[in-house]
Amino acid sequence: MTTDRSTMLEPSPGGTATKDPTRRFSWQWLQGFAVRHAMVVVMLFVVAFFLYKSARFGTLENMTTILIAAAPFALIALGQTLVILTGGIDLSVGSVIAASAMAAAYVAKASDGNLLLTVLVAVLVGLAAGAINGFVVSRMNVPPFIATLGMLTLASGVAYVIGGGAPINGLPANFGAIANTEVLGLKIPVLLMILAIVGLAIIMKRTSYGMRVYAVGGNRLAAEIAGVKSKRVLFSVYTISGVLAGVSGLMLASRVISGAPNLGQGYELDAIAAVVIGGASLMGGRGTIWGTAIGLLLIQTLNNGLDLLIVPSYWQDVIKGVLIVLAVAIDVWAAKRRTS
Amino acid sequence: MHTTHTPEAVATAAIECHGIRMSFGGIPVLKGISLVLEPGTVTALAGENGAGKSTLMKIASGQYKPDEGTVEVRSEHLHAGDIQAAHRLGVAIVPQELASIPEMTVYENLFVGRELRSPVGLLNRRAMMRQAREFLKPFGLEIDPAARMGSLPVGIRQIIEIVKATSRGAKVLLLDEPTSAIAEQEVERLYSVVRSLRDQGVAMLFTTHKMEEIRAMADRVIVLRDGNLVEDKPLDQLSDDDIVEAMIGRELEDMFPEIGVPKDEVALTVQDLVIGHGTEPVSFSVRRGEILGLAGLVGAGRTELMESIFGMRHPAAGSVAVGGRKVALGNPAAAIASKIALVPEDRKGAGAVLSMSVLDNASLPRIKSFSNAGWINNRKRSGSIGDIMKSMNLKSRGLGQSMETLSGGNQQKVVFGRWLTGPVDVLLLDEPTRGVDVGARSEIYRIIVDLAEQGMAVVMASSDMPEILSLSHRALVMRGLTVAGELSKTELLESSAQDKIFRLASGLEASTKKETENNDD
Ligand SMILES: Nc1ncnc2c1ncn2[C@@H]1O[C@H](COP(=O)(O)OP(=O)(O)OP(=O)(O)O)[C@@H](O)[C@H]1O
Ligand SMILES: [Mg+2]
Repeated sequence: MTTDRSTMLEPSPGGTATKDPTRRFSWQWLQGFAVRHAMVVVMLFVVAFFLYKSARFGTLENMTTILIAAAPFALIALGQTLVILTGGIDLSVGSVIAASAMAAAYVAKASDGNLLLTVLVAVLVGLAAGAINGFVVSRMNVPPFIATLGMLTLASGVAYVIGGGAPINGLPANFGAIANTEVLGLKIPVLLMILAIVGLAIIMKRTSYGMRVYAVGGNRLAAEIAGVKSKRVLFSVYTISGVLAGVSGLMLASRVISGAPNLGQGYELDAIAAVVIGGASLMGGRGTIWGTAIGLLLIQTLNNGLDLLIVPSYWQDVIKGVLIVLAVAIDVWAAKRRTS
Repeated sequence: MHTTHTPEAVATAAIECHGIRMSFGGIPVLKGISLVLEPGTVTALAGENGAGKSTLMKIASGQYKPDEGTVEVRSEHLHAGDIQAAHRLGVAIVPQELASIPEMTVYENLFVGRELRSPVGLLNRRAMMRQAREFLKPFGLEIDPAARMGSLPVGIRQIIEIVKATSRGAKVLLLDEPTSAIAEQEVERLYSVVRSLRDQGVAMLFTTHKMEEIRAMADRVIVLRDGNLVEDKPLDQLSDDDIVEAMIGRELEDMFPEIGVPKDEVALTVQDLVIGHGTEPVSFSVRRGEILGLAGLVGAGRTELMESIFGMRHPAAGSVAVGGRKVALGNPAAAIASKIALVPEDRKGAGAVLSMSVLDNASLPRIKSFSNAGWINNRKRSGSIGDIMKSMNLKSRGLGQSMETLSGGNQQKVVFGRWLTGPVDVLLLDEPTRGVDVGARSEIYRIIVDLAEQGMAVVMASSDMPEILSLSHRALVMRGLTVAGELSKTELLESSAQDKIFRLASGLEASTKKETENNDD
């Protein structure tokens, strides 16, 4: 990304200011909004399209379905956001989901439904994978792409080893309670998703930790000269990403009350897409949690809406692929308009 | 200056380096350097490009681990290669290549690493903004602390970097070419910043390639040459010639060569070019053999004008023609095909691909002329580039050395020299000697004059006043993305020229637009 040096030096004469400041909702205001929040506008169009095409799309029940489907995916997309903000990438999250799901299923079965132990093991698997990623990237200076590619293969292998190459079924009934219990009228995964979004948004915007993540991604040398321990920051984002993937795996396994070694396969790509759709730069330093939230809702809405319209699944992939690139192209175009 | 050389004073030295040795890939860069900085003093670190100045500063600030030698900060041993430790001990560095975070705001840049927090532990952005404003005020910077760093001119960012270092209570401040990005008129602001920091007892070490700056700021001068410390004396015991001689190891002849007589044939015609939003159009022409100077403050639009001519940005209106033939706008490839060449100001961002070798960088713009059917003819390429780099006196470990490990001034020689492998009618130079040492600078001047003599039309943007005054046949002064006035050679030779340029650049003098138009046909 290049920065435009001519901006700010010259106030653009005329043009953007609304003629009547008291009339807030004018065409120009709308244009300005559309340019500033291009992705929200894209989202509105997608939603309007599905509302028009499908009677079921707008029901409360369907909205809940979208949220429940979004939850496990949201957790890894949020972790991915932090990693991408530092200029890195975490390709391993899909496999970590599988490993933690299998480990959780195995422990649940072996311990005959000890939920506390099950949850602990799932989180620990994610933590371990994330910490190893973080160590390899920050201390051994292995490029994130390679380090997490290695973990992708490793964690996937572990998932198959745990089940001896097969899924783990016949789990104690209470295993399903983890993802299906309702608290405050919301299923636990949805609640966790909301907590994670709000919590991370606050952390990234309102704490010094968040600021340092941006700084390391924006210019690592500058951050270090300013006293930021960039290695620690890097270690932490991969660890967080790993833990969130661990929790995500637990939720997915609990939802279907079984562990499958191919669970979460390819999720990392959807997560990266959500982050990029949310306006983050893969070079690091730019992006927001809210952006990712919009991005992942957009992807989930597409999945859901295309299902409702009974579009064959291969075609869904084609449409999704096109829309993802289109959405980012629109955002890049709008970003250019924003700065000039 | 006001330090006394009693034993106690030595004991309280701000920073001491002893026997620093450092080599890269077996090639020694520093061969046993020792120096002591005392509180409240300003020391200039002079030396040619590649002499090891930046390397020494990186060692003193804990970025590099020397092969041998120690660094002590106020009698405490600095653990080598530990930036944080240096930071804790109050050693701050403002690196040669800007170390700001463009995506973050000014106040975030100032406070990152030591953020202000509310009692609950959340960021206190309001307090940071308020304090940021207070930090900036004494430096005469009336900018919005919430502005994005990347949107500010380089010169302002540079000063913010200094503010950042000192607002953290640094006791030792290492400034690596602090003025290289600042317009001459704004250097005054830096001088006063440095003076007030000296009065507060900060020990400063700075590098520069300009004698005026050494005279204006330094108490003491240290000169490095080929990795050795060859001079260390108070400023008042040294003449300018002494310093230059110590740097290059020989006497320097005239800095500026005689400029030739321009031919009649017009090479570049710029007609009604609008480079900003609704700014006044710019029109001028440059003849073959003519050197047109472009003066102005940072942000005046010199870079924008050059980039518009070269097709890197699309002007709102107007036309550019070379030898009477229109050039497609907004298309650098078309500009190159029309024999326009640009040496950009920001060598890190636009000038060079840092991860690539000298050879690759130098052959990039004309890679086609070194290849047959897509296959690169390496012998032809190395031969031709090697000759040019030799003529530019490039200091490198061969053409295979990667650009990022080259010293700043030598990087500039590569991005300059790479155009000389093919035909050029219009040469656009944006700050051609920024960060280039005196010896190399006089070489570059000679090259510019030679090229003009061979028939190129040269447009040279510069913040270096002597360069504009002595090297150009004519100078345009820019302000607010348009031309504010023009000076002819006779006007440039008058003693009031510098003052006139400054007044035009800062808007104190009304535009002399008419003259410009008259000169155009
Ligand atoms: N990381 C590195 N790897 C290899 N060589 C290096 C590295 N850093 C610097 N050098 C070499 O060390 C020498 C000294 O470089 P340095 O940057 O210290 O010079 P300098 O005095 O600051 O020059 P300038 O005035 O151009 O900034 C140069 O020859 C450079 O090529
Ligand atoms: Mg240097």
